[in-house]
Amino acid sequence: MTSKNSLPLIEKYRAKTLSDIKGQDLAISEIEGFFKVFPKKRAIILNGPVGTGKTSLALAFAKERNLELFELNASDLRNRKKLEEVLAPAIKQQSLFSTGKIILMDEADGITGSDRGGLPELLALIDKTSFPIIITANDIWQQKYSLLRKKCQLVTIKELKEEVVQKLLQNVIQKENKQIKPETLSIIVKKAKGDIRAALNDLQTAFTLGEDSFLESSHEREKEESIFNSLKKVFQDPTNKEITSAFNNTSMDLNEILLWVEENIPLEYKGQALAKAYDALSKADVFRGRIYRQQYWRFMVYQNFFLTAGISAATKLKYKKFNQYKRPSRILKIWISNQKNAKKKIIVNKFAEQTHMSKKKAMKESFLLPLIISKSIEKKMDLEEKEQKWLEEKKGAIIIANNLNRFRT
Amino acid sequence: MENHDNTTIWTEKYRPKKFEDLVGQDDILKKVESLTKSLNIPHMLFAGPAGTGKSTLALIVVKELFGISWKENYLELNASDERGIDVVRQKVKDFARTKAIGNVPFKIIFLDEADALTKEAQQALRRTMESFTGTCRFVMSCNYSSKIIDPIQSRCAVFRFKLLEKKDIEKIIKIIAEKESLQIDEPATESLYEGSEGDCRRVINLLQASSSITPTITQDLINTLISSAKPADIKIVLEYALSGDFPKAKEKLLDVMLRESISGTDTIKAIQKEIWNLQIDDELKVRLTEKTGEIEFRLVEGSDEFIQLEALLAGFVLAGKGILK
Repeated sequence: MTSKNSLPLIEKYRAKTLSDIKGQDLAISEIEGFFKVFPKKRAIILNGPVGTGKTSLALAFAKERNLELFELNASDLRNRKKLEEVLAPAIKQQSLFSTGKIILMDEADGITGSDRGGLPELLALIDKTSFPIIITANDIWQQKYSLLRKKCQLVTIKELKEEVVQKLLQNVIQKENKQIKPETLSIIVKKAKGDIRAALNDLQTAFTLGEDSFLESSHEREKEESIFNSLKKVFQDPTNKEITSAFNNTSMDLNEILLWVEENIPLEYKGQALAKAYDALSKADVFRGRIYRQQYWRFMVYQNFFLTAGISAATKLKYKKFNQYKRPSRILKIWISNQKNAKKKIIVNKFAEQTHMSKKKAMKESFLLPLIISKSIEKKMDLEEKEQKWLEEKKGAIIIANNLNRFRT
Repeated sequence: MENHDNTTIWTEKYRPKKFEDLVGQDDILKKVESLTKSLNIPHMLFAGPAGTGKSTLALIVVKELFGISWKENYLELNASDERGIDVVRQKVKDFARTKAIGNVPFKIIFLDEADALTKEAQQALRRTMESFTGTCRFVMSCNYSSKIIDPIQSRCAVFRFKLLEKKDIEKIIKIIAEKESLQIDEPATESLYEGSEGDCRRVINLLQASSSITPTITQDLINTLISSAKPADIKIVLEYALSGDFPKAKEKLLDVMLRESISGTDTIKAIQKEIWNLQIDDELKVRLTEKTGEIEFRLVEGSDEFIQLEALLAGFVLAGKGILK
């Protein structure tokens, strides 16, 4: 039971059958129509905002009709060889087993014009396939997809109505045996704007944190959500013309944004793209330094450029993979380490006072201090008991780590 | 039996008290001494590497000028510690407001590590210097005189301190060995000189630390202490990077820097040195060093040393192509 309980709500309550999917009756009947007339049209596009159940629809249909589901993503399409290996048996021969197949091309607008081969490959696949293809997309109305739209049946998935989201949540709350105040519920529903995934995530947070702190943090979350969106733009949408304004709607200050970018670059990029992205971030930081030192604020333009378009240009590929971005951890780590190093710092500062040195210089000598500072020097330096204890422990550690006792005569 | 003195800090105990005790900087010594004796010293800028006697010379001047009342007439400020020019200015003002005690018509302000001040702070300081010229003389120290703005340099007599030579260091070691009854053999002396890179303070600190273990100081002991200072983990950081594991390299880097409280500049220095010890192709070493130089430049220009160092590691991951797997 516990393992089941530890599942995130979005997984635990993912719609499993068509009857689980609420508020999309029109779409369901359109998809059913598609299956009836197949292969008149070989592919169907489910176009609509995130969290409205597109993927769930595909999964539920496969299950309902007892079809095997073949899932593809944008990067598979770029790799023609791999694609053929995977699909050749699936497309050409009828399955040896009784079950048929559905091919699911999830989030197809992850394929951009710059993914040379991706889109044509998908079009070719539609021509060849003997199995129905379901394509999901957030925005299929861009010019470059016109050919794709012609080849496919198009179903518009609307965002879920607030009543529907509310009902779904109430159902979950009941099944989970929990209580939530009506005000909190309505805040969650409003915030979700028809995205059931976001709503379930919020509900989970309210369960775990308690309602009060959820409400408190929901303001903070809004801020974070907007940085999430900005990061996603920068990291995953290299062809976006308005990329330089990616952070314009973020209420964070630039320093904080820089930390977010820094924390998440390694999650997005590898190899050459990683080096390029960091190079752009490093240049942005150079301009930040110049702004500080020279108070020449026009450099801000360049800082912002490198932080957005510069990083974005690290790769031409538009990744479809969604990453859960992490909040910056460095400041916290520095703080923790400062706490840990506090005693050392006090000792170093007192030593610096005694020896006409800057604290910075004294810090460089700090590795020798536990050996140098004897009991009587401790007295002169006015060290407190806990500082003396720190020195003693450190001295012991140095002696052991370097096996210094072998030198004693 | 231990005869050495462990009741005082040796860098203070053996700090030269008179002009003739100072080792190394003969030319500077002559000039500064005669200026001091004439009771009319200009503002002075002491430029040179760490541990070559800049602060010491300032202290000698002050003690020579004011005798026992030197503490009342001397203000020592560390530009790198006193964050913000306002602090410096306030302290300078408070100190300079009153006249000097005794027959010397001015007080001395020693501004250590003046190159840590920003250009703007230096501009502000220049005004302060001018308005208090009547009552104060500034002695400033820095590692690189090029980091001091021209208007300040032109108001100062500039003295360039040389790195201490081997014979100078040997002389100091000999004096201390004698006074503290230490046995220091030739190879140990060699290591002290090499490991301290001409920094006299480091030599003395190494000697005092060694003496807490044994009075018989060997090369092995000195080398052990010196290598314990070098964050060995820098090598591990590089190895992670060159084996292609960026996340680990990044994590380790932050860990080392925080644990040892070392600055970005010191970290990149250590990286630059460590590259030559790596078991990799020479051509790759050249490329890594080139990248290191570029990033060190940006680190000086930029504002966030972690970002710059991470950019360096990402560059290493790419250049290394997982060579150290």
